[in-house]
Amino acid sequence: MKARNWYTTLGALMMTIVLVACGAGAPSAPAAQPTAAPAAEPTTAPADVATAPAAEGGARKLLRIGYGGEIDTLNPLTSQFLIDIHLTMIEGLIVSNDKNEYIPVLAKEIPTVENGGVVELGGGRSEMTWHLQEGVKWHDGVDFTGEDVCYTWSFIIAEGSEVYNRDSYLPISACEVVDPLTVKMTWEEPYAAYNGLFEAILPKHIMEGQDPKTGDFNRNPVGTGPFVFAEWQSGEYIRVTRNPNYWRGPQYPAIDEVVFTFIPDANTRVNALKAGEQDWGQIQPNQVREFENLAGYKPILVSQNSWVHFDFSVKTERGQKLFGDRRVRQAIFHAIDREAIANDLMEGTVTVADTVIAPSSPYFNPDVPKYDYNLELAGQLLDEAGWVDSDGDGIRDKDGEKLSFTIMNRADRADRTTIAQFIQAQLKDVGVEVLFDTQESAAWTGTWRTGAWEAVVGGWILPADPSFTGLFACDGANNMTGLCSEELDALMKESDTKFSQAERKPLLDEAQALLAEEAFSLPLYYNVTPVVVSERLGNFKPSGTNLGSFWNVYEWTLE
Amino acid sequence: MGRYVIRRLIQMVPLLLGISLLIFLLIQAAPGGPEAVFLERSTFVDPAAIESFRRRLGLDQPLHIQYLRWLGAVLTGDFGVSYSSGRPVLEMVLERVPATLELMGLSFVLAALIALPLGIYSAYRPYSFTDMSATTLSFLGMAMPVFWFGLLLQLIFAVQLGWLPTSGRVTVGDASLHDRILHLILPALVLSIRQIAGWSRYMRASLLDVIGADFIRTARAKGLSERVVVLGHAVKNAMIPVVSIMALDLAGLFSGAVITETIFAWPGIGRLFVQAMFSRDYPVLMCVLMIGSVMIVVCNLLADVIYGWLDPRIAY
Repeated sequence: MKARNWYTTLGALMMTIVLVACGAGAPSAPAAQPTAAPAAEPTTAPADVATAPAAEGGARKLLRIGYGGEIDTLNPLTSQFLIDIHLTMIEGLIVSNDKNEYIPVLAKEIPTVENGGVVELGGGRSEMTWHLQEGVKWHDGVDFTGEDVCYTWSFIIAEGSEVYNRDSYLPISACEVVDPLTVKMTWEEPYAAYNGLFEAILPKHIMEGQDPKTGDFNRNPVGTGPFVFAEWQSGEYIRVTRNPNYWRGPQYPAIDEVVFTFIPDANTRVNALKAGEQDWGQIQPNQVREFENLAGYKPILVSQNSWVHFDFSVKTERGQKLFGDRRVRQAIFHAIDREAIANDLMEGTVTVADTVIAPSSPYFNPDVPKYDYNLELAGQLLDEAGWVDSDGDGIRDKDGEKLSFTIMNRADRADRTTIAQFIQAQLKDVGVEVLFDTQESAAWTGTWRTGAWEAVVGGWILPADPSFTGLFACDGANNMTGLCSEELDALMKESDTKFSQAERKPLLDEAQALLAEEAFSLPLYYNVTPVVVSERLGNFKPSGTNLGSFWNVYEWTLE
Repeated sequence: MGRYVIRRLIQMVPLLLGISLLIFLLIQAAPGGPEAVFLERSTFVDPAAIESFRRRLGLDQPLHIQYLRWLGAVLTGDFGVSYSSGRPVLEMVLERVPATLELMGLSFVLAALIALPLGIYSAYRPYSFTDMSATTLSFLGMAMPVFWFGLLLQLIFAVQLGWLPTSGRVTVGDASLHDRILHLILPALVLSIRQIAGWSRYMRASLLDVIGADFIRTARAKGLSERVVVLGHAVKNAMIPVVSIMALDLAGLFSGAVITETIFAWPGIGRLFVQAMFSRDYPVLMCVLMIGSVMIVVCNLLADVIYGWLDPRIAY
């Protein structure tokens, strides 16, 4: 009899264990409850309001986006992620489009010297006038005015705002609201990339009195955009709904609701698309083929303003010894077959890059010195530099030092590691040994910033503005290679002060050529990000800039 | 017994303090820091912005000051705010608890209901067909990489057959219980397979040991039925090592399952942990790890208490 009960006892035991375990956590739980409950409210409360009309009208157009990792905050100015989700709700004075141009959004036009919007005052100072769109309202019904623009400026330049490009806004010494729809900014020094600033405008009446780091806006933003924030379920999705009062007119937007589901694993995203659970999803270049024949979907290759590059650092003593001689750097560049990387490794989805500016940009210089694959020239240059294989072990040496260096790989970037392996195999042919040191992402970044590495395969993204001073100037905040050329510095810095393209282009052309000659960073190819979209989606015009592909989401259609 | 439990609870305090110091140092020892998130943009970053970020979070302070600050705040119930989202850490962790418990709890119960009978039967009829198949499947279950198995199940049941969703916890806009259960099946299955494999092996081995013991022979000699002998006498004794294994796995309930949750886009604590690890979000990491540590310590105590109940010879 006891035996018959044993199995039920066992079941009860299991349940008890589970229950006791829940109970064990209890002492800390009550303390936590009060903090958790009220804080969760603001994020979920508006959701219920927004869901209400979902019942009416059977054919509600829902766009399902299979997004990657979860973002940090919805304030586009302080988020460290691509701000494409943000821009569906919050708009700026400008945005960058599929042609790599800045176009006005909340501004009627982008002020230039030609249209009289920029007036030079002499001594490098200038005055810039922005005329704003009429009839724009924040999602809570309050009018959008120049006050919001100037507030955004003061938000960014505030000490400790931690806006990633705060330094770009510092030359603005004053922002004046001339009338509700006109804003005048005074620049103390010319800054050529001004037309890429103010990609998002924050509502003054909401942000004031909020801590920008911990405030409610980060999880419950109010913008002027085509979609209104509805809910954010942590670890699951962000849902936005159609703004019925959108300023571009009642025909926009043409979609009722967009849901961004966070699916961190790329293979799961592929499965979710194949199962028809998503209408839009980012995939990896090597997954493109799987979608070529999938009914109802099409893969699109979005060329990015970003490129993958192979860099040397001369910041360490050993780096200086190995790569201090420009001929060595050039020789190694000549020994890397970039065509093979683009066509074989990347399956022909990408194109070889010779310069850092994308071909779609008006500042692209096609005539820079090119490092074509030439083993003979590579060997010759190394011989000239004094690196010869004196001990017959297949590796060149000089003064007892082997021509052997380490590529620091990022563990989460398998694509770049594959490239590094490819480079390793190729350099063997000219008697150069390559070793690997693999580090996890944050560790990689930490080491990379110190310059205490020998070589890396990295990736950069430029905004639609082409300035690359920060990457390659001697004091460039993101120059980790130790490249320092006075001539190049002068060119880049002068180009940053030119408001007009005609003046700026020749300077940047020369800078690109010089940069290639210096041979610290070899551009390998321009990135593409493959996106799979449902054939039901219309007007999708992907853009490869740092502002993402949702720039025209207001005119997207869904059949 | 009561005094024993109280003594053990008091011993936990220095133990947890030691653990907290250790994990704090371990986290800090990992190369790279929270400012790495800035560089994920792959675009120009104002160095002054990084500097003020570090200053605001106190990352420019010496380690012992940082630890004492953290400890002081935690003792008042404040786990700090996340470096990346700016939200209170406890809130971020607690909102993940339901999803974690749902998934881990279900797979735990599922695994227990399958593994224990399977193990018992395998031991009772060793080298039978059932035992052989169970052994083979167990080794397969233990050897199968979780991510691969998860993706395979997605391909079969979601892409090919279309019976189940690939990932996530709900279909947006559908809050029905039915929908939630459909979403639970695949991840719970993947998680429980490994536990079934492990636990059934322990159960089998332990029971085989006990069945050969003298008191079982005595029980049989008394003329007790096989059922009473095996289930009543042998299993209860054989449970002891199995319980300690299960108790430790139970502690994992609150830590979530890192890989499974990532593959199935499940909003649990494991995924929060991974996210926090990549962005070096120290306060979130500390909170998740401390909860995990507390659970392990508590579950160990729990296992000891259950021993006493299973085997009256063990007295405290």
